[in-house]
Amino acid sequence: MDHTRDNPLKRFTAFWIALLLVGCFGIACVLLRPLTHGQVDTAYEMVSDARLATKSEIMKSQAAALDSDKLEKTLKSAAQTLNQAPSKGAMPLPGAPTK
Amino acid sequence: MSETPSSADANDIALRSSIDRSLRHPVMFFFTCGALWLAVAAVLGLIASAKKHMPEFLGGCSLFDAGKIDAAHINALIYGWGFQAAFGMIIWLMARLSRKECTSSGIVLVAGHLWNFAVLFGVVGIMLGMGTGVPWMEFPTAVWPVLLLCYMLITIWSLIQFQVRDAGHVYVSQWYLLAAMLWFPWIYMTANLFVFVFDGNPLMAAGIASWFKGTLFLLFFLPVAVASAYFLAPKVTGRPVYSYNIALFGFWTLAVVGPWAGMQKLTGAPIPQFLPYTGAAAMVLILVPAIAVAINILKTVSGHEETVTASPALRFTAAGVVGLLTYGVLSAATHAFGFSLVQFSYTDYGFDILGLYGVFSLCAFGAIYFIVPRITRREWLSRRFISWHFYLSLYGVITVAISAIVGGISQGEGIEAWNQSFLAGAGRAQSYGWGVTIAWGLILLSSLFFSLHLLLMWARLGRRSSHPTLLKGNHAESPHGPEGEVDNYGSATA
Amino acid sequence: MKFKAFIFGLLASFGLPWLLAIVVPFSTMRSLDPAKYAGIEIDGGEGIYIPKRDGRISEGSDVYGQEGCYYCHTQLVRPTYAGSDVWRADWGGLKKSADNPDTRRETLSTDYDGEKIAHIGVMRVGHDLSNLGRRLETNLKGTQLSPETWMFLHLYNPRGIAPYRKNSQDREERSACPSKPGLFNEVSKNIAGFDALPVAAPEGKAIVPSDRARALVSYLVSLKKDTLEQPVPQDLNYNPIQPVAK
Repeated sequence: MDHTRDNPLKRFTAFWIALLLVGCFGIACVLLRPLTHGQVDTAYEMVSDARLATKSEIMKSQAAALDSDKLEKTLKSAAQTLNQAPSKGAMPLPGAPTK
Repeated sequence: MSETPSSADANDIALRSSIDRSLRHPVMFFFTCGALWLAVAAVLGLIASAKKHMPEFLGGCSLFDAGKIDAAHINALIYGWGFQAAFGMIIWLMARLSRKECTSSGIVLVAGHLWNFAVLFGVVGIMLGMGTGVPWMEFPTAVWPVLLLCYMLITIWSLIQFQVRDAGHVYVSQWYLLAAMLWFPWIYMTANLFVFVFDGNPLMAAGIASWFKGTLFLLFFLPVAVASAYFLAPKVTGRPVYSYNIALFGFWTLAVVGPWAGMQKLTGAPIPQFLPYTGAAAMVLILVPAIAVAINILKTVSGHEETVTASPALRFTAAGVVGLLTYGVLSAATHAFGFSLVQFSYTDYGFDILGLYGVFSLCAFGAIYFIVPRITRREWLSRRFISWHFYLSLYGVITVAISAIVGGISQGEGIEAWNQSFLAGAGRAQSYGWGVTIAWGLILLSSLFFSLHLLLMWARLGRRSSHPTLLKGNHAESPHGPEGEVDNYGSATA
Repeated sequence: MKFKAFIFGLLASFGLPWLLAIVVPFSTMRSLDPAKYAGIEIDGGEGIYIPKRDGRISEGSDVYGQEGCYYCHTQLVRPTYAGSDVWRADWGGLKKSADNPDTRRETLSTDYDGEKIAHIGVMRVGHDLSNLGRRLETNLKGTQLSPETWMFLHLYNPRGIAPYRKNSQDREERSACPSKPGLFNEVSKNIAGFDALPVAAPEGKAIVPSDRARALVSYLVSLKKDTLEQPVPQDLNYNPIQPVAK
């Protein structure tokens, strides 16, 4: 009988050939990734663009309407009175020391 | 391809018995576990079918809820029985045909255990409501990479054996085995990646799942069954295969037609329209390889009718080949003339079972009746058990085919008749549903005979005889037949 | 046959359908151009067609699959060349009546958006469910039962409640659907509150739907794949009778 075809090296090569053959369409799935992956513009995204534009417009107008100087001043003055004991007749702030 | 004892020299016999010995543990493991899974699948199939015409059946038990039980049934049948029977056939046939011992039966056995645990986990997962909802791929998504790994660990040694075989003739069976071993991982990887991993349109996921369902039978179970038939028919009758050219033609028509099948299930769905059409065309054209295989096998055994009836291996195989011819004819007829009529009826299920049981399983039983005595070195115990197994299987699968395919046509007509009430139309299937339930009862009985017989063989309780158990002899003689002489030339356990 | 030629033959005969029937259609179907309306006067809409659905679609669709509903129910209204689904009473939508226009349509490729897989279905042992939510809403109008409650009662005991159709030919027939007891829990009456279903339960106990049942029912009730609330663009509306006029 002819045994020349069977030796450890041949078996080792055969193993990798077999693995490659078995996995070739799995590899092909990965290689063709550009066809099956990537950003697509769905209808939902197209509508969301318009919605996001509206949202950013509203955010912008709200930011413009906010007078931050005045707000800061008010907050600061409130913060200054925070640690003072209330004078008679004044409304004590919650958490302020009572004496 | 025939090997008569006179021409086989002592070396040859020694080689064959050393191949058998190297594979006895994994092959017996696959066949026995497979047979037990078949019994489980038959029980689940019985319950699933009963629930379609008796909705109150086992109504209080949420484990057996309708729907989940259908999924558990078909998955147990495919991954529990079908694959394990196929594994046993592939590794044994490939080793014998390449004339190489298996050097990694330990790894195969470990992978086989892992496969069984994965299938058990999957079936229980489905019944607990953790399935994926994709027909034939219902196992929880953690299972498929495990099954794929086990598959590779089981079959890759057979691919290597083929590569390092002694130079010489490549048998027809080997083409089919090689192709099946490669086709399955190709379709399984593609289907699972595109359905569960890649993000696409849900309709296309459904289409690819249908493609998996169609190709799993045509490109895995069918070629394994045909490989076994191309091995057994010449082997048992002692004649060469009838025509090499027809075999070549049958193989390549299957290879060209098979991969297109499956998407006909989505006829009318908003996917590219050529997909259902090519799917249906493939299901029509599958008649061509079916005829080629059937002619070749039946011509090979013709003139040996006595051997066909007497040899359990050949009798089951011949029945499976006739099943394949029936499958081809019915498939061509249904898909060519008005598929939409039966698209959502019992017919589809009828084809699934006719293919998985009437073609694949019958051929697998034939292979098992041939292989097991060789690896256990014992002969089958009881002629009657084999007979009962054969007739119950045959009547079971004929009942499924007639009830589901014919009943499905009637049901489909009822559903399509839009002027009458839906339930009146769908109700036409009720009596045919009874037929399917009874058929699963028959198959369950047959698989009990088979499992018991196989377990006894596994326990090495088979007959020690130099004569195979044949299905002939008259009843006036001993139950074991006149050929049952016990051999006295030493232990067969060596 | 040489081994290399054999392998090449296998790769080619498998690779061609793999590429043409799997990869390319998958790529096409995931980046379909959104359909556009022709205009308010023509097909009753403006801009891009966005299918609107309320409810726990994604979660409910998963439960639908886990429970194996697709073995007995389909969700596909086929075009007339492939089946008579559009003509069957309230499968494809509502037929024209005093209360509503003809709302029937075929299944569109956007109908399963948000689901992992389109539950096309294996067999029609039961009705097609593409418009289950629409049927429930229309038929239960003016009764005590909400579509959700009817669905819970149906899943708990399909033959314990009257069919929802009032004047249908199916009225006299009993549902052939098996019950789904696994979707319901038995809890103490005190904690059940308004969740308790009006069904018989042991003393001091009540039957309440589980969270999975809620997701499933939310999904089922959302199945309204017709043109009543949302007209479809002219290009997609193959309704053989006439486009919806508003």
